Amino acid sequence: MQTRRPAGGLESEVLAALWAADRPLTPGEVSDAVGGELAYTTVQTILTRLHRKGAVVREQAGRAHAYRPVIDDAGLAAQRMRAMLDRGGDHAAVLTRFVGTLTPDDEATLAKLLGAPAPPGDRPADEVDS
Amino acid sequence: MHASVYLPLFIAGLFGLTAPRLALRLPPAAATWLLSVGGLIAAAGAAASLTLLGFTLVAQAQPLAESGHWSITALRHEDPVLAPVAAASIVAVLVLAVRFITAGVRRACALLAAHRLASGLPPVGQELAVLDDPAPRAFAVPGRPGRIAMSTGLLRMLRRDQRRAVLAHERSHLSHRHHLHQTAAVLAAAANPLLYRLPAAVALSVERWADEDAAVTCDRRSVVEALTGIATDTGAPRRSGVILAAGANDVQRRVRALQAPVARLSIWRVALLVGLLVVAVVAVREAAQDTERLFELAQAAYRSAHR
Repeated sequence: MQTRRPAGGLESEVLAALWAADRPLTPGEVSDAVGGELAYTTVQTILTRLHRKGAVVREQAGRAHAYRPVIDDAGLAAQRMRAMLDRGGDHAAVLTRFVGTLTPDDEATLAKLLGAPAPPGDRPADEVDS
Repeated sequence: MHASVYLPLFIAGLFGLTAPRLALRLPPAAATWLLSVGGLIAAAGAAASLTLLGFTLVAQAQPLAESGHWSITALRHEDPVLAPVAAASIVAVLVLAVRFITAGVRRACALLAAHRLASGLPPVGQELAVLDDPAPRAFAVPGRPGRIAMSTGLLRMLRRDQRRAVLAHERSHLSHRHHLHQTAAVLAAAANPLLYRLPAAVALSVERWADEDAAVTCDRRSVVEALTGIATDTGAPRRSGVILAAGANDVQRRVRALQAPVARLSIWRVALLVGLLVVAVVAVREAAQDTERLFELAQAAYRSAHR
């Protein structure tokens, strides 16, 4: 039954389905868990959005990605930083100031993270999870 | 001033007694509005009555009479309100005002706390907030935007349709701003103890409202099952009074309401409650006019004495 789903409601249902499962789910499995009437691409889009916001982490499962929800301390802090960044408007300006406040150790970590060669097919810019 | 000034007090009592019971037989949305807004009107009417009753005594104070140019003797002579009654009214107005303000401040603090909680619950930026807790818990946190909180224990316990039912239920609380109706009921009860039953009645009726909304999204049986699943929950954070916890309120009655045929909007029940409130408003108007006439008489007496 597909009736009266508000905007953002689908994200909630997908997230709820991921939390309800006891293992990471592929987009196809998520689609089944939410209710089969959702198009695969819709589920894929929602999962990508959730991943970008740091609400889920992505794992390689055969040829597809599997998604797992997160709320550990590091993930939560990252989500908050991400939300603040989005609220701040000019990303470049906010990031510049932010990097200016970091300790040398933090800077080294950041440089290492950004300088690390990305695994093929993955997008390191999207990685905000722990 | 005749009996009309006492009528709003009587009506507040009658409304406080009958409205919760009548509302149970109305569709939950209509019941909620009647209880919350009606409660405020009933409380305001009673407060106006007490103020009018008390003011005739206050006005007999020398400095006030001087500046208002009315005769104290004429006022005392013409005023049908007994001095002890007026004195009791003054005390009542003061006590109720303090209660009202205290409740208002407490409510505002709870709302602020809820807003802060809503923006901080993980995952940030999502409608759904997930609590890492094995106990089955679900509640709506009003905020900008409001959040739906569900525990991991609950999410793992529910089936797909039940998850959807709980989401729809909590979403209904947020989109219809049920916390404001509850705030109105709490304030009305604070302003007038005769309305002490309203907060519980509104709490039950907003839960029924959200249950009915959930039953539109998925079938009634899923809602009932989800409801009884959360019913074991006792750990919802009740300290912040604006958070609406599913399953914390009268689950048996709600299940019965869900299984019963949908309540029809009975015109005479609504008319009875609205009629009561209209009578209260008219009575306050009448009493205010009586008071005005009384003071006109006292001013005329003052003028003829100072000519």
